[in-house]
Formats: sequence, C-alpha cells, structure tokens
Amino acid sequence: MATLSDLKISEVKLGEEHTGKWGMVIDQDICTGCQACVAACAMENNLSFVGEEDSGYGRSMHWIRIERFWEGEYPEVKMTPNQPMMCQQCGSATCEPVCPAFATVHSQAEQLNLQVYNRCVGTRYCANNCPYQVRSFNWRDYERPEPLPNQLNPDVTVRRRGVMEKCTFCIQRIHKAQDKAKSEGREVVDGEFTTACAQACPANAITFGRVDDPESMVSQLAKRSHGVKHLEELGTLPNVTYFKGG
Amino acid sequence: MTESKVDLLAVFPDLEPAANAIEHLRSIGVHDECMNIISGIPVTEAMLGRPSQWTNVPRIAMGGAILGFGAGFFLAFITPYLYPYPIKVSSQAFIPGPPTVVVLFELTMLGMLLSTFLGVFLDSFFPNYRPMKYVPEVSDGKIAILVECSHVEEKKVTDALKKMGAESVNPAEAQHL
Amino acid sequence: MAYDKKHSEHAPSGQHGGHSEEYLREKHLMLDPLPRGQMNDMVMESMLAKPTWKFWVVASLLAAIVAYGLFYSWGRMIAEGLGIAGVNRPSYWGIFLVNTVFWIGISHAGTFISAILRVFRAEFRRPFTRAAELMTTFGLVQAGFSIFMHMGRVWLAYWLMPYPNQRMIWPNLHSPLTWDLLAITTYLLSSTMYLFLPLIPDVAMARDRSTGWRKTFYKTLALGFRGTEGEWTHLRNAMNIFAFAIIPVMFSVHTIVSWDFAAATRPGWSSTIFGPYFIVGALHSGMGAAIAVLAVIRATMKHMDYFIRGEHFDAIGKLMLIISMAWAYFFFNDYMVQWYGGDVWTKQLLHFHEAGPMGWMWFAMLICNIVIPWAILWNPKWRATPWLVATVGIIINVGMWFERYIIVPISLSINRMPFTWRLYQPGVEIPLGIGTLAFFILLYMIASKIIPLIPVWEVQEGQMAHELKKFGRETVVSVSELE
Repeated sequence: MATLSDLKISEVKLGEEHTGKWGMVIDQDICTGCQACVAACAMENNLSFVGEEDSGYGRSMHWIRIERFWEGEYPEVKMTPNQPMMCQQCGSATCEPVCPAFATVHSQAEQLNLQVYNRCVGTRYCANNCPYQVRSFNWRDYERPEPLPNQLNPDVTVRRRGVMEKCTFCIQRIHKAQDKAKSEGREVVDGEFTTACAQACPANAITFGRVDDPESMVSQLAKRSHGVKHLEELGTLPNVTYFKGG
Repeated sequence: MTESKVDLLAVFPDLEPAANAIEHLRSIGVHDECMNIISGIPVTEAMLGRPSQWTNVPRIAMGGAILGFGAGFFLAFITPYLYPYPIKVSSQAFIPGPPTVVVLFELTMLGMLLSTFLGVFLDSFFPNYRPMKYVPEVSDGKIAILVECSHVEEKKVTDALKKMGAESVNPAEAQHL
Repeated sequence: MAYDKKHSEHAPSGQHGGHSEEYLREKHLMLDPLPRGQMNDMVMESMLAKPTWKFWVVASLLAAIVAYGLFYSWGRMIAEGLGIAGVNRPSYWGIFLVNTVFWIGISHAGTFISAILRVFRAEFRRPFTRAAELMTTFGLVQAGFSIFMHMGRVWLAYWLMPYPNQRMIWPNLHSPLTWDLLAITTYLLSSTMYLFLPLIPDVAMARDRSTGWRKTFYKTLALGFRGTEGEWTHLRNAMNIFAFAIIPVMFSVHTIVSWDFAAATRPGWSSTIFGPYFIVGALHSGMGAAIAVLAVIRATMKHMDYFIRGEHFDAIGKLMLIISMAWAYFFFNDYMVQWYGGDVWTKQLLHFHEAGPMGWMWFAMLICNIVIPWAILWNPKWRATPWLVATVGIIINVGMWFERYIIVPISLSINRMPFTWRLYQPGVEIPLGIGTLAFFILLYMIASKIIPLIPVWEVQEGQMAHELKKFGRETVVSVSELE
C-alpha cells in the first residue's frame, strides 16, 4: 500500500534543496538609493547611453535599477526601502527555454544565466517571460561620443542594435579571479573579488560570493531569518536574497 | 513490326451519349485500355462505366509522411546531441517531452502534404509542355473520347462514334496547348 | 455590369405555402445552371475586363502606401533599429505581434471554407473556395512580414531554420517560437499548394481561351493539364488528402500562436484555454474578412452577382453568428477562471483591461465581437444583404484586432514588477501595419486580374448534383453525392 512518503516528489527540486554557485545578498535597510551601483555597473559592462527621451519611455539601459516605492499621499508619505533589482540568475529561469536561438542558456559550470549576444536575433521573448523584468534591449545603435570610447572595458563586448542583454554577475571578473587563482595554484578566496555594484556601494548593502560555500560571507548573511527571495512562488529558484525590515 | 495505329478524338456534348459510346466501342472490340476520356469536370469512372483508375497519390503521401516523421525525429531527438557541448535551458529535460510531439506532428504533416502535391506531378507527368492530343471544347463542358485503333479499324470506329452522337470525330493530332 | 436575370425583391411563395420553383432557382446558384461555356466566358470576362480608372487610382494609392508604409519604413527600421517603433519595457511585443496574430487569423477563413466545408460537403462553398484560399495565402504573407519586422536582427532570421551549419547549433525546440516557425512554414506551404491544385483545371480553361502573354502565363501554370481520367483521379485524390490533412495543420498553427502567450509566465497569458480561444477568434475575424472580400468582389467585378448571391452571404452570416457565440463562450470562460483564481497580479490586470486608460478598447471589443454581430445576424433578410454583413464583418475584424491588442501590448503593461509598469505607444508600427493591409488588398486586386476567382469546374460539378424534387405538393432541393 502506498504510504505518504511514496508520494513524495523526488525528481522536482524544491527551492530549499537548490543551491546555485554564485549569489548575492542585498540589504534594503541600509541601501540609500544613491545609484552608485547603477553607475558602476554601466561603466564596468560597457552599457550604452540611451538618452533622456528613450529612457523616459521605458528603454533605460541598466542591468541594475533602484526601485523606489512609496505609500500614501504627500506629505503623509511613507517610503518603503529602496529595492535594487537585477537579474536574479535563476536556477530554473523562465527566460531560457523560450529563446528560439539558444541565445540565453544555463551555464553548468558557473550556475548562471548566460546571454550569448552574437546568437541573439531579437525576438524579445526572454524579456517578456522574465518575471523580474530585468532584461534590457538595444533598441538602437546608441551613440558613444568622444572621449567616452576610451572608458570602455576591454573585458566586455559592446552590443549592437537588436540584441538583448542583462546582468551577468560580472562574469568577466569571476573568470579573471579564477584564472589568477589557478595560475597561483589555489582556490578563489571569498572576498577576493566582487561585482562592480557591490564594490561601488558606499553602504555595503550588496554582498556577493559563493552561496554553495557555507563559510562564505554571503552564505552566512543569507541564513538570517528575514531574508526573502523575490517571486519565489514561481519556482524560478533565484540566487539573490533580499533583507527588508530587519 | 506492329501495324500503325491512329488516334481518334470524338467530342460528345454530354455524359449520357459518351457513356453509351464507350459501351458501344467495347462491344465492337475496342479495348478499355485503348480509350481515354478528357473532360472539363471530374467525371468519375463509374459514371462512364470505365475501369477505375490507378493512382499512386495516397501511397506517395504516406511515403512523404514517413519521411517527414523521420525528419521530425531527427530534429527532436538527434540534433540535441549534435552540439559541441550539451545546452541546458531552465530545468527542462535535455530532450523535452511534449515539444517533441509538436515537432513530430508538424514535420509529418509537412512531409505528407508536400509529397501529395509532388505525387500529382509525378503521376500526371506535370509539368508537361510537349504537344498533346486535345480539344479546347473540353473546358466548355464537352466530353472527349480518345480512341486508339489500327488503321484498318479507323473507318469502323469513326462510324460507330458518329452513330452514338459524337459532334465531331477527327484523327487526333498532337498540338501545343 | 449586372447579370441579366432580375432578382425579385419579394419572396414569392407557391400557392400552397412552399416556395415556387422559380424562386428557388433564382435564390440558389446551384439550381440555376448555365452552360459551362457561358460560365467560362463570364469568369474570363470578369478577369479580363479592362481596369477602370478607379481601379488604377486605388491600385496606385495602395502601391504608394506599400512602398512607403511597408518597404521604406521597414528599411528605415532595419537601418536604425527598433527604436523608431513604440515597443519598450515592459511591452516588448507590440503591434507587430498583434498584426501577426491578426493576419494568421484572417488566413484561417480560407482553410475553414475550402477544407472544413469541403469535408462536410457544404454545397454553398463552391463558388468562393478560391476567393477564400487566396485570402489564406496572402494573409500568411502579411503575417510573415509582421513577424520578421518584429525581430531585432532580422538579417539573421535564417538562424532559426534547422539546417547543419558552421555555428554548430540547431534551433531550440523548447521554444514556442520555434514551433511557430515550423507550423507557419507548414501552413503557408500547404495552403499555397491547396490553392494551386484546384486552380489547375481553371487555368487550363483560361489557357484555352486567351492569347498573348496571358496564354504563355496560363500555359505555364496549367502544367499541361488536359483533363484526362488519370489527371482528374490524381487531382481528386490529392485534394481529398489536402482537405482532411490541412484541418489539423490549421488548428495547430493558431494553437501554437496562442502558446507563445500561454506558455509564458505572465499574469493574463498563462491560460490553458488560449488554444481553442485563439482558434475561434481566428475564425471569427477570418469569416468577417471573407464576407467583406466577397461583397467587394461581387460589387466591383463583372458577372459576380451570378456566382455570389444572397444565399452565400446568408450562409456565411449564419456561420459568423455561431462563431461569435463560440467566441463569447471562450472569452467568458477565460475571464471567469482568471477572475476566480484571485491571483493579485491577474486581478490587477483584469482591472487594468476594463478601467485602465485603454478600457474603452476592452468595451469596444465586446461591442464589435458580440453585440453588433448578434444584433444583426439573427435576421435572415439582413444576413442576405451583402453590404450589411460585409460591414458587420469589418466591425468584427476591428473588434478582433482590439482583442489581440489587449492581449499583447496592454497585458504586457502589467507584470509582477510594478516599478516597470508603463503604457505602450505605437510608433512606426502604424505605417508598417497599414502597409501590410495595403499589400494584402493590392495582392488581391492583382490576383483578381490574373487568376480565375471562381472555380468554374467546381460550380458546374455542384450544379450537376443539384435538382429540384417534388414531395407531394412541395418542391425541395435535393443534392446527389457525385464524389
């Protein structure tokens, strides 16, 4: 006779069982909303400058954005904490299966969502299907006036019109650190490097590191009881934990 | 050597006289295989009392469906193994279950319909722009009987056709359509 | 211009309550046979009639719209990027996808009329199967245009085709868009073949009675068809296979189009009923478009009032009414379950549909798709009035376009990240959309001059099969199965 334990679904990994590799913890309580992370990300990842008009029409090109909410009418306004939002590097991402060209796939080695720019044909299905709405599309070839090209990061490709892009958890930095550690015959140490946003945050609201290493800073922080993952109920297995009202 | 043959083309105004003429021709010894009907609407063999026509179209369609299924199988089950490294998307299986049904269905149908179309071409020898034995009145609803007979019988067959109500009986000449 | 028989206005009845023989003959094309030669001449004349100045004006206007709206605007968009369109975050899909769904919907009418009605031996289909099939093919061309316009890097569209390549990659079969590509390709190819097969005997007819370049053209198209027993047998078999096989293909196409939405993780889209709901919606707009096209053909082309009569408008009108009811059923079903689910985002979306800034469109959709068709199509006399049903058909198409607009950009405005909520304002999509419409009409106008629009042999076959029969005192129509 079938018992209750026989009915346990063994194949489907539930959220708690899933561990990614790289992860992030964002403390909304200490985020000041200064946008330093947004600027740093744009510099690090060669983001285009879309200009006022397009930006105002919902075509801002940011891989991380600070979401600001408030409740009530002025002057009785109650601010909720600022919410930095970027690609959550889902373990089971909804953006991946819908791309007809395999332009967004899951990296087995790094457990990240990859966006392969040169495979993208611009159907924009992935962006529609992203519950976090964190993908940015190159609506045009945006101008990059002199001397701004001198500032381009040589480790990151620039994207042309018609291509989707999104936060990569600064994968170029991950690879650089791994290469350095390998050449020195050791493992990557926690805190040895971090993403551009975390590096730029003056309040230290963003912590980045290995979530599969229980000793790492990010794992320690993520254990705190008031951590939440956004839209966890969709089963996307996001790798970013948020603290609010701690 | 074989005796020389001649083709006669008789034009009938309607179904009934044409059917009678075919019956009569058969009775005077013209074989069914020596006759062919040309008509402007699909007149069935049964209406004219003719043996049923052989067609390969359904068989070719079935063959195409099998080929299409094969192509679908290749796409759905083989191509994922042709990448230089396995590509994983989301938590979906490497070879996704339900989507393979979609691929198999579409390619089977595509194969079947393409080959049905091709089958018409193969069976009817289309396209064919060589001169052929034909009378344009056929597209006005007349029914033409093309009879192949020997020179000796030509007179006899012509008279028979005339007697059965043919509007005209002429030796058929291949012409550009 | 007018076909010389006068159609009597009042419906004369026989002395004993039934319809008189003359009335039935006037009403039904199938009971009003003309010699085949005369029908051929009528069809040829309607096709060869020297275009009036109005034709040239309309055609050149349409050509100008196509040149600007479709080719110039598209070229500019390819050169500058999708920025000149109105798509943004979160409405990544805009009118391009609305138009894709709309045109695929239009294309469903042709298959419905020429395949489903053929399979069910609905005799009234005979004179307009070709006109409907042409809509399928030309509509799919516009759908193809719309879907390619939508792509960010359309010059790489061939990457979606499955073929061995140096990139060492095959299309992603997990993606509904890949299924779409397979399904739409299958449908476009098979509906074009299905348009061509019954056309062969008619172009052979045209070949026998034309000269000059037309002779060469029809001769090439007729492939050497004579009408021998063998040729007819192969053709009949093939058309039979097509009629049955193209129906599931048609269903699969619009179901897969609906899966583009239903398979996504989005409030309002993730609905299991979208497949049949979309199919019914497609038939709704398709029948509306078909009847409008028939009314235009009848009004503008010579002798068409012989072939296309009130009975045909009446019959399609009935179908439209039934389909409108089916659409209302599916719409309500979808709405009810989403509403009952109580998901906070879905609730927000439903509220946005009805009371948001585009709420007028939601109500206009219901009026165009349900209220107006129901209010007019119940009446047999109104149904048989070409201009009236054609107007209803156009209104239904407006309503169905609204429906797709609500499903695509309006539903995309609301998602689970309230920070990104934003309305969509179309940009270059408007000239591009008008361009596809103009191209559709232009293609149809050109086709009406070079393709016999009436399948004469099918009409003759039908007329042979119909006769009047007396049951006691009543005269009734009877049909024999010839096939």
